[in-house]
Amino acid sequence: MKNLTLNKKLAFIAIGLGFIGLFLGNPYKGNLVSMNTTELGMIVESKVDHVSVQDLADWIIQSKMDFKLIDLRTEQEYNEYHIPNSDNITLTALEKTSIPKTEKIVLYSEGGIHSAQAWMLLKAKGYKGVYILFGGLEDWKDQILFPKLSETATPEQIAKFEKTKEVSKFFGGTPSVGGTADVKTETPKMEMPKLDNQSGNKAPDGAPKKKKEGC
Amino acid sequence: MSTLVQTPDTEKKSVSVPKPYWNPYLSGIGLGLVLLLSFVIMGRGLGASGAFSSGVAYVMEKVAPTHTKANEFYGEYLGDGSKNPLKDWLVFEVLGVFVGGFISGALGGRIKKKIEKGPNVTDRKRLIFAFIGGALMGVGAKLARGCTSGQALTGGSVLNLGSWAFMMCVFAGAYALAYFMRRQWL
Amino acid sequence: MMAPFFKYGMFGDEVSLIVAFIIGIGFGFFLERAGFGSARKLAAQFYFTDMTVLKVMFTAIVTAMLGVYYLSIIGWMDLSMVYLTPTNIMPQVVGGLLLGFGFVIGGYCPGTSCVSAATGRTDGIVYLLGVVFGIFGFGEVFPLVSGFYNSTLMGQVTLPQFFNLPYGVVVFLVVVMAVSAFVAAEWGEKNMAKKAEAKK
Repeated sequence: MKNLTLNKKLAFIAIGLGFIGLFLGNPYKGNLVSMNTTELGMIVESKVDHVSVQDLADWIIQSKMDFKLIDLRTEQEYNEYHIPNSDNITLTALEKTSIPKTEKIVLYSEGGIHSAQAWMLLKAKGYKGVYILFGGLEDWKDQILFPKLSETATPEQIAKFEKTKEVSKFFGGTPSVGGTADVKTETPKMEMPKLDNQSGNKAPDGAPKKKKEGC
Repeated sequence: MSTLVQTPDTEKKSVSVPKPYWNPYLSGIGLGLVLLLSFVIMGRGLGASGAFSSGVAYVMEKVAPTHTKANEFYGEYLGDGSKNPLKDWLVFEVLGVFVGGFISGALGGRIKKKIEKGPNVTDRKRLIFAFIGGALMGVGAKLARGCTSGQALTGGSVLNLGSWAFMMCVFAGAYALAYFMRRQWL
Repeated sequence: MMAPFFKYGMFGDEVSLIVAFIIGIGFGFFLERAGFGSARKLAAQFYFTDMTVLKVMFTAIVTAMLGVYYLSIIGWMDLSMVYLTPTNIMPQVVGGLLLGFGFVIGGYCPGTSCVSAATGRTDGIVYLLGVVFGIFGFGEVFPLVSGFYNSTLMGQVTLPQFFNLPYGVVVFLVVVMAVSAFVAAEWGEKNMAKKAEAKK
């Protein structure tokens, strides 16, 4: 190759690199997506993607865990307390996740903002079964861990509260009755209630109704 | 700066004192690497015309504030008024272009006060054409959202459709008019 | 750290201006190295006597294109974070033609005129003034042309998307096209030189 001038060498290198490019893939890694905004808007308005804290509590108690429960908060927050059976995945990590798009996902954050944003992100990427814990951890604390029965409760409400108390105790919370005084709402320590930690089972009847598409 | 060995293919006629230009392919690679660096560091490419737009918008805003702010075009460069339009990436980049060009020229002994033109046209005519050419370019660059640096080089290397179409048109337009301008150059 | 560094928050706006200046120096340096401070050299492209414009431009494009492509494939760079100007096809076509006219009439493009002015060329300075005037004129009549200016928006489109070809294939085709153009250019230059010799 001694005869080849500099220019010819450059040309060969360029063509070589170009030729190899024929066999390499797409430099764009799939983070450019398109969304049907009309469809998404309709889903939002219909609220089919909401999951209440009561439902979630029931499913956890009954071990109906055919979905992935994701905590979107920071690692520190997660370590202090998290809803049992949840995985800690932040938004930026979720964006790169390899969770299969057919998986059912329930998202929660402190309130509802980050879970709503993560919902949008996952829907845009093509995930079919994405759900938001309505009210987030705040409602979970309010209604599940530290439910309050007002002093002026009706007999029916008092009866219902019995069940609520059971659920609360299951998760290590402290139900309370009446009182306008501030109840000490310290989140329970991280000894999880003894659950059989299986997930991925097919939901029996009474499972959340998930919208199916296709045949 | 030592000049590289000139291969027979790319002999340049060198004028007496100034040193010959580089092998164009090597200059091209150098330019391409600078462009690549810009992509890697900033996530954007090079440009030139945009800096002048910022400059014009800045001056216009000082001279005729209400008129300028009401104009949609200038508004793009003025933003919401909180930031000085001259504190713009392209403005600083173009300042660098002046400096870089000067450095290279100085190293190559090519700094000279002169007017570049062909032998068959007067200085005055040349300058008039330079102005007209510049004005056409200014308009064209705005319509096309860039000039040869911003669109052709930058957009070309990321395979932007509009940029390639633009590039083809630049060559087409120039070649089309070349015959009529030959007096100026040949 | 993932590239583009600025987009991933490696540094802020203030530092980016310094980066701009340094990159600009590199830009201007190589433009002058190639001889683009001279309008005669630039214009010669359009008379086939000196094809440096074509050689430098396409070499730069191929270099940067291959660089971006390979860096993205390896995973060191996120190409989707590199800004892609949306395509407004008609204004860009018309703008390109006007730019071409301006190029052969004026002898420069905005970037090269800076280099020319920096190396003392009076015509470069006058050209720059012309560019400023052109932009000013455009700004003033903008309300009239804004319809056209914003017309035929195609969004951010790449050649691979438009022609429905894999990115790598387009990369290869661009390289082949460029190298072919270089071969033709070299041949063309030699030919014109021979003709010039024969005339003497």
